[in-house]
Amino acid sequence: MRTLVFIPAWNEADSVAAVIAGVRESLPRADVLVVDDGSSDETAARAREAGALVASLPFNQGLGAALQTGYLHALREGYDACAHLDADGQHPPAEVARLLEEIYGDRADLVIGSRYRDPGREAESDDYKPTLSRRIGTGVFRFFLTLATRQRFTDTTSGMRAANRRVMSLFSERYSPDFAEIESLQLAVREGLRVEEVPVRMLERVGGSSFLTPVRSAFFIFKGMIVLLVGQFRPREAKAER
Amino acid sequence: MNALALAATEPTPQVHLTSQTRILAAVLAIAFMVLILDLIRRDRLQERYSVVWFVAGLGMLIGAAFPGLLELVADAMGVRDTNVALFSIVLLLLLGLVLNFSVIMSRQAAQITRLAQERALERANDQARSGENGSEAKAERFEG
Repeated sequence: MRTLVFIPAWNEADSVAAVIAGVRESLPRADVLVVDDGSSDETAARAREAGALVASLPFNQGLGAALQTGYLHALREGYDACAHLDADGQHPPAEVARLLEEIYGDRADLVIGSRYRDPGREAESDDYKPTLSRRIGTGVFRFFLTLATRQRFTDTTSGMRAANRRVMSLFSERYSPDFAEIESLQLAVREGLRVEEVPVRMLERVGGSSFLTPVRSAFFIFKGMIVLLVGQFRPREAKAER
Repeated sequence: MNALALAATEPTPQVHLTSQTRILAAVLAIAFMVLILDLIRRDRLQERYSVVWFVAGLGMLIGAAFPGLLELVADAMGVRDTNVALFSIVLLLLLGLVLNFSVIMSRQAAQITRLAQERALERANDQARSGENGSEAKAERFEG
């Protein structure tokens, strides 16, 4: 199975090399692509030094467009499976390997790494701790996405995923630039793909801070609800073609 | 309450456009169309986006020249004041135009994104072809 691991990165020069090294260690057979989303720092150079292939978007296009670039590359270069994780060091590469196992075993088309779905495990000191606004947002999105897809999701905004070719061809054509994470889940379920969540361990971010302030969170939630509502009425691609 | 009922029942005479308004509108319409033509001439506006503005200017001119037309429309809308009818129509048209531009903008944003992605992947492929990195990675792939 040829595997591509891609890492969307926007001004993550401090952490990107370590993430690449981690992926190399956990998944020695996978190719690594860094999608540099118009970074103004040394992200692209650091990634190249670390031995990754770098696709530099000429200007910042947002996370959705960066992820779509990865899916597009995976599809065109004929990879059997692909996965992506954040460049800020929140996602342990070893967990990505676990997501990919589900794809290799053909148990799902799209696998989401969920930071929440592991109640039995004891908390560790460097574990991910969600802020209050993050928790509210997560709850709201969980509720509406479950309503929209009739499938239970716990971590709707997770940026750690693995996918097969069916997902690549869908996402490389239709991937919302604004609301990538949530809308893509809704889209995948609507197109009849098997979407599965796997509990993973996530860490506190190494550098930088979350972009979520309370006001932004409220706006984010509002926008997300509109996106989900509209998404329910989108034409289905796969069904229409048949 | 009483006054409201009175106002509703008592027929008020239709308010016409004054000739002052008409002259002002005609002058503005002509100035507007000259501006459009000048923008096209200086390559600041593409022809395909100018048609709609030119039509708007012409509409303004026709409305100023033949106020009877506007009064017919106002009557049909059930509005007594021709000025109000004029404002409503213009507002609606502008709303439509702005929406149309948002649609065009969205399409162009999607096109720009795809263009950026193509360019990024092209560069990545160049890197794969030129660097040792790329050839190593390819060799590994075939073994695996």
